[in-house]
Amino acid sequence: MGRARDIRLAYLLLAPALILLVTALAYPIGWEIWTSLTDLSPLNEGPTAFVGLENYRRLAADPAFWRAATITVVFAAVTCAVKLALGLGLALLLARPFRGRALVFMAIFLPWAYPASVSVIGWYWTLSPPIPTAYSVFMGNMKYAVDSALGGGAWAFLSVTLFNIWRGSSFVGVFLLAGINAIPPELFECAALESKSAWRRFWLVTVPLLKPFLALAVFLALTTAFADLANVWMLTAGRIVYPVIGTHAYWLAIHGGQFGPASALSLALAPFLIAVLFLLFRMFDPPEREPA
Amino acid sequence: MNPRSWWRKLGHGSLLLAATVYCVFPIYFMLVQSLKTAQEDVFGNPLIVMNPTLENFAELFEQHGESRGFIGRTLRRSYPVLDWIENTIIVFAGSVAVTLVASLLAAYALGRLRPPGFRWWRRIIFASYVIPHTILFVPLYQVVITLHLENNLLALLAVYPTLALPFCVWILSAYFQHLPRSVEESALVEGASRATAFFRILLPMSRPVIVAAGIFALGTIASDFTLASVFLLDAHNKTIPAGLATMEVALDELLAVAGINLMAIPVVLICAVFARGYVRGLTAAMVEGA
Repeated sequence: MGRARDIRLAYLLLAPALILLVTALAYPIGWEIWTSLTDLSPLNEGPTAFVGLENYRRLAADPAFWRAATITVVFAAVTCAVKLALGLGLALLLARPFRGRALVFMAIFLPWAYPASVSVIGWYWTLSPPIPTAYSVFMGNMKYAVDSALGGGAWAFLSVTLFNIWRGSSFVGVFLLAGINAIPPELFECAALESKSAWRRFWLVTVPLLKPFLALAVFLALTTAFADLANVWMLTAGRIVYPVIGTHAYWLAIHGGQFGPASALSLALAPFLIAVLFLLFRMFDPPEREPA
Repeated sequence: MNPRSWWRKLGHGSLLLAATVYCVFPIYFMLVQSLKTAQEDVFGNPLIVMNPTLENFAELFEQHGESRGFIGRTLRRSYPVLDWIENTIIVFAGSVAVTLVASLLAAYALGRLRPPGFRWWRRIIFASYVIPHTILFVPLYQVVITLHLENNLLALLAVYPTLALPFCVWILSAYFQHLPRSVEESALVEGASRATAFFRILLPMSRPVIVAAGIFALGTIASDFTLASVFLLDAHNKTIPAGLATMEVALDELLAVAGINLMAIPVVLICAVFARGYVRGLTAAMVEGA
């Protein structure tokens, strides 16, 4: 069995996955990069013109863009940090055996297993009830208090944030639990002999050992942060007043017919995502040892 | 028992309690609402249900004609819930199957056959996970139209697998890559083909990791609501989440909550059955790879 044949077989087996990714990710991104350099719009008469970086230049001059970008990045960063902290806490809580561990594990697994596509509907309408129910007065008062302190739409935005944290911390918790299980327990036992302070042990042993898994968890948490945001935004037809980049671009394209600027706006997040990816790969994908 | 360890136990116990309540309360709350009558929904205690009833679930399936009568002057529409259930099962089962097959093949190629530059292939595939689908709606919709899949369940079957594929390829290939060569070699030496070695030896060995990948795929796909509601327009073609979003919450709040539970309970049960296997599979992939 020749090496050349193996390589050909490898590419053949990679094909289905690559075809899917190219159709649903690579092609759309390519289209967006190209479109962001043009003034493509169904409203335009005549052929589409190449406008270079004009769309980007206009974005950079628009204070509304910087506000949306800040909100998006802060949302992603804050939810990730909180999900990581809570998830790590949940994982450490479950790390050692105790009576009833299976039950607590199941409880912690639930928020992620409960499909977000529908729990987001329940969660959102519960926090902002559209009709009088037994809890609507309480929720209405909360909304009033938060909105008057932080501006209109703040309560709705807060509810998405809380939802994402609730669901994401469950995922991160279970994920890190699997990571802790993958670390040989001797390493933790040695650490226990070395240092009596649980706090020092946490920072000097647990965190460094879990570092690759923490980085992976950030990576996975980041995607759900955007997905949940989109879910709520679609659900409420844009009633969330806080502008965020992805959904705002969709609005601009579908309702404004401005595909060029919308694509530029969509891609504005790219530098942020690439920077995060670069950092994370350095953390969880160390130069590989050659397998024996 | 010395007092210090007693305090410790109490602290640990209350932390566990807090964690459990934090995780379960919203789910409990939604379940309780779905079991209420309209009367109790407005005047009862929000946290408990005194006279549990399944009438909201029953009403969900009632389909007499186009409407269910009037409230005041407002027409209450009826919804094709049975169609939604069928669509959801087709889409979810199909997408998870496509995800698993495509990622097993790719993972085998990257982890065992190792074509030149296989590390970069893995990194690129995994990196694609971070791209939010939210920024790709317009071109994705164009792809769907080019393939003549608008308003068709097949559109979701083409897009959903890419939601979980990068992660599944990553954990499966990490697991395959660090299995020793000898695992297959004895079979290959005895004249078995690569395919036989794969199906007879590698696949059974990696069952926990496949379970983990499958549960991850199911959880990820089940959490999408946006793509379903963008691509499926006709009321009869919707999946449960996309359909529920078209309900008028102001009129049918209890019905919508019942629908939420109708979809959630089977998914949660499937996940719960495989929950331990999920953790075991993730651990196996992390020990071998990461």
